[in-house]
Amino acid sequence: MCPGPITDLFRAYRNANVGDVIELLATDPAARSDTEAWARRSGNEIVAVIDEKDYLRIQVCVVKKGR
Amino acid sequence: MQEPSVNIVVVGGGSGGTLSANLLAKQLGNEINAGRVQVHLVLGSHEHIFQPGYLHVAFVGQDPTEIVREERSLVNQNVHLVEDRAERIDLKSQVVTLASRVKLHYDYLIIATGSVPNPKAIPGFSEAALNFHTSPEESRKIWNVIQQFDGGHVVVGIAGVPHKCPPSPNEAAFLMDDYFRKGGMRDKVKLTFLTPYPRPYPAEPMSRVVEPLFKERGIEVVTFFNVESVDPAKKEIYSLEGESLSYDLLIMVPPHRGADVVVESGIGDADGWIPADKNTMRITGYENAYAIGDATNIPVSKTGVTAHLQAITVTDNILSAIRQRKKLYKYNGRINCPFEMGSGKAAFVVGSYDMPVKEIHPSRIRYMMKKGFAMFYWRTLSGSLDWLFGLYFGKTQTVESA
Repeated sequence: MCPGPITDLFRAYRNANVGDVIELLATDPAARSDTEAWARRSGNEIVAVIDEKDYLRIQVCVVKKGR
Repeated sequence: MQEPSVNIVVVGGGSGGTLSANLLAKQLGNEINAGRVQVHLVLGSHEHIFQPGYLHVAFVGQDPTEIVREERSLVNQNVHLVEDRAERIDLKSQVVTLASRVKLHYDYLIIATGSVPNPKAIPGFSEAALNFHTSPEESRKIWNVIQQFDGGHVVVGIAGVPHKCPPSPNEAAFLMDDYFRKGGMRDKVKLTFLTPYPRPYPAEPMSRVVEPLFKERGIEVVTFFNVESVDPAKKEIYSLEGESLSYDLLIMVPPHRGADVVVESGIGDADGWIPADKNTMRITGYENAYAIGDATNIPVSKTGVTAHLQAITVTDNILSAIRQRKKLYKYNGRINCPFEMGSGKAAFVVGSYDMPVKEIHPSRIRYMMKKGFAMFYWRTLSGSLDWLFGLYFGKTQTVESA
């Protein structure tokens, strides 16, 4: 559904500090490519993408935020 | 008169709350007249605003008074209107406390308190940006400003997610392009669309429709830009991702949060969205309390159509419980967001929990349909046009034995 799990990632990113790990649980397969593209662009780091039985577990480490 | 045996309280007089109260009053007319049931509608405001109308007030110059009506005129006479603000909702004690300190006990509760634009969440936003999500007056300001605008860099976009009406920022870009073209000054305006999402529209199938149209109209797109702050003096906008962009005119959708009463009652998440089941809209942990529309954390678009369809399901479930029919209705996640794409054409964002968003291209007929929905909006609040909704939407809920 729109706008999907990436919305949750951005909500978490807004409240996170550098060094925090955000864990995103998503059933939408597009969550993986969207998160990877965002991490590349923003300079943040994907720690792991785990294929659970019914969903993806994506862990993102916040290494860059703000100016 | 005897104390009614069933008290239903609806908090919030937007699309979802008004329709819920009206549907219940219509179906329970006999019980209400016999004094066995009472339906209370707690209003935050005596005015009802047709919020999708903000767009045309801001970018087409529609008279703002045309999108506002007195709530009283829209409500079934069997509804007990409570013209007071809900201050606290206690789900455990089943009590809604009003600002006047009056306490309303409920057997069934529907929370339809919507979402609240929160420009103050972004430093500098209120001073720097215009918006068309807070009021008819704020929307009108945009119309006044663009009429005086003599060229430069216009940045339009999304300053926080989630927000109500997902297509509205894109619609704003299309309508501004139309406006400047008609005025013969499009060549003096650089138009940029700013979004936190990876593409011009978050759902990919509709983004495939928007992207070539933006390109054709010379609307530039900046993606992955989560607004951190705005410097009104320098006219610069900054992202959490570390980028910046300068502007001459900034028109942004502010971040949204849940209603004050939800936050203050501690029944929402960190941003005030109420955790609820995506099919029944029951508030997590409560059998007799529901949340609908923008107020929930349900992963579905925050729009009036969603609130309308959820109101149908929730009222069906309350009626089923009161009449001991042992049926459970489940909303299927159907969305149908009108999406204006300029030049008098529109599309719709259509999907459900089981049906990914479809690729739908803009047409003149769909634009007329969008206008038709707007024209009939006030009547839809009574529930008298639900047969038409049924014909158009098909199934929006399933039913099973409770």
